[in-house]
Amino acid sequence: MMSFTPLAASLFSLLTIVSLILVFVMLGSRWLNNYLIAFTAQCWVVAALSAAVGYYGDYPELYLVALFTVLFRGLLLPYLVFRIIRRMGVDRELHEIIRPSSALVAGAFLVILALVVARRIGLSIGNPDDVIVLALTVTVSIKLIGFLMLAVRHEAISQILGLLVLENGIFLGSQLLVPGMPLLLELVILFDLLVAVACFGVLVNYLITHAGSTSSLQLRGLRG
Amino acid sequence: MHVPNIISQVAQVLVTLLLAPLLHGFIHRGEERVQRATGPSLVQPYRDLWKLFHKELVLPETASVIFLAAPVLAFAAVCIVPMLIPVLTDFPLPQSDMGDILGGGMILSIASFFILLAGLDSGSAYGGMGASRAVMLGILAEPTLILVLVGIALLAHTMLPFPVNHLLASDWAVFWSPAHVFIVCAFFVLLLVETDRLPIHSSTQIEVYMIEEARVLEYSGPLLAIVRHASMMKQFILYTIFADVLTLPWGLSHVGSLVGEFGALLAIVVKFSVIALAVIVVETAQSRLRFFRYQEPLAASFLLALLGILAQQFG
Repeated sequence: MMSFTPLAASLFSLLTIVSLILVFVMLGSRWLNNYLIAFTAQCWVVAALSAAVGYYGDYPELYLVALFTVLFRGLLLPYLVFRIIRRMGVDRELHEIIRPSSALVAGAFLVILALVVARRIGLSIGNPDDVIVLALTVTVSIKLIGFLMLAVRHEAISQILGLLVLENGIFLGSQLLVPGMPLLLELVILFDLLVAVACFGVLVNYLITHAGSTSSLQLRGLRG
Repeated sequence: MHVPNIISQVAQVLVTLLLAPLLHGFIHRGEERVQRATGPSLVQPYRDLWKLFHKELVLPETASVIFLAAPVLAFAAVCIVPMLIPVLTDFPLPQSDMGDILGGGMILSIASFFILLAGLDSGSAYGGMGASRAVMLGILAEPTLILVLVGIALLAHTMLPFPVNHLLASDWAVFWSPAHVFIVCAFFVLLLVETDRLPIHSSTQIEVYMIEEARVLEYSGPLLAIVRHASMMKQFILYTIFADVLTLPWGLSHVGSLVGEFGALLAIVVKFSVIALAVIVVETAQSRLRFFRYQEPLAASFLLALLGILAQQFG
């Protein structure tokens, strides 16, 4: 566990809080393009965080991770998802299970839950910096909100983005909690993501041709 | 030259009383100017009030005594609040210890409560509709307000407006802390709700989407003037709390000299213009939504207030 200078600590907390807010932007909007823009912005923020951790914590390989994050998550993934959105011809979530406003409030309560959990974890690993507890809180809450998005949205695109957001949360936390993670692991995760998006692309095609809709609720009708 | 504290206190109420229509006029004119129209004159609200005060009073047949008493009570309530908050001076004046920010909020709620009763009293359909909509918004705005106040209390360890003002004016680290920024954003949404400027409100008077106007549709003549003036003063008070306590805590008189208080008056003009311009931009840039999306801005402000409190846990 490393300790940070006050300037570094405030920079890290700013970046983590911005990424949390971007998740709420996704949670509160109905338009698929808005999700995608918020997701892209979040990836850039996470990349900036990696670079900042690399700079202040003296981990040169994190610069490379930041570069890969920008290239893959910040440019390639949004482009692929954008292509899927364009092909689908669906530009907004049509039948929400819960409304965006209720989802926002639910998300707020998930953040509180995450704070409680992070406090507990923080106590169990000694007395860490406030930044570490904040990073844990944001990681856990982004994960929970990602699950929430997966559960309450059923456009295929929302589900891809929910999954990617969930992964972003874990990645963000890992940057601050275990900054010395081997570069190879990071690369593997990035390629996993590409595979996930490719799989979803296939799923979307399947949904369009066989179910005539991009809502994953239609998958229920295909049983048996 | 020092102004006696009592005089300053009276001046605070008078400033609120006299400048509230000017703020209203500024916002209206600004909105029209942003949309490339000429807009009404800055002093139009004063002319409107003058005209209304000289008109005949017509009462609905169904009205009871509440209908007559409500405007006066609301007006009295909004005259009390300026005593509790820093309008001109940044130190407590006589009787300003009557209540803290929560107390001020409660007195403002009394004012809107009576207007609400008056809207229901005459039994007109519009009054009932306006009252029910206003109550719905009020119910949803209340948790945010409480959370904002809790956030302020955690930040400054007090709910009195003066120490909060001192803390924010003197300490940049607190001023730019995420907790404070979130609380300011949450309060800005509350400001829009309470001054009738959310994207679901209608700024023109007679329309199906009216909320504030529907409640007072039955009023006429001097009573309407009092109701209007009370609502303008409420807007001025909320701007004062937002500017002097939360957002721009500078430019208040420190010792209560005559020059200082005139300077504070000028500062009010500058600060309120800045906030009013922000409100105008938000209101013009955001397209009008149907009424039943009222939960979204309020949910967002609740979320921001909650994040503000949360961010304090890491302070």
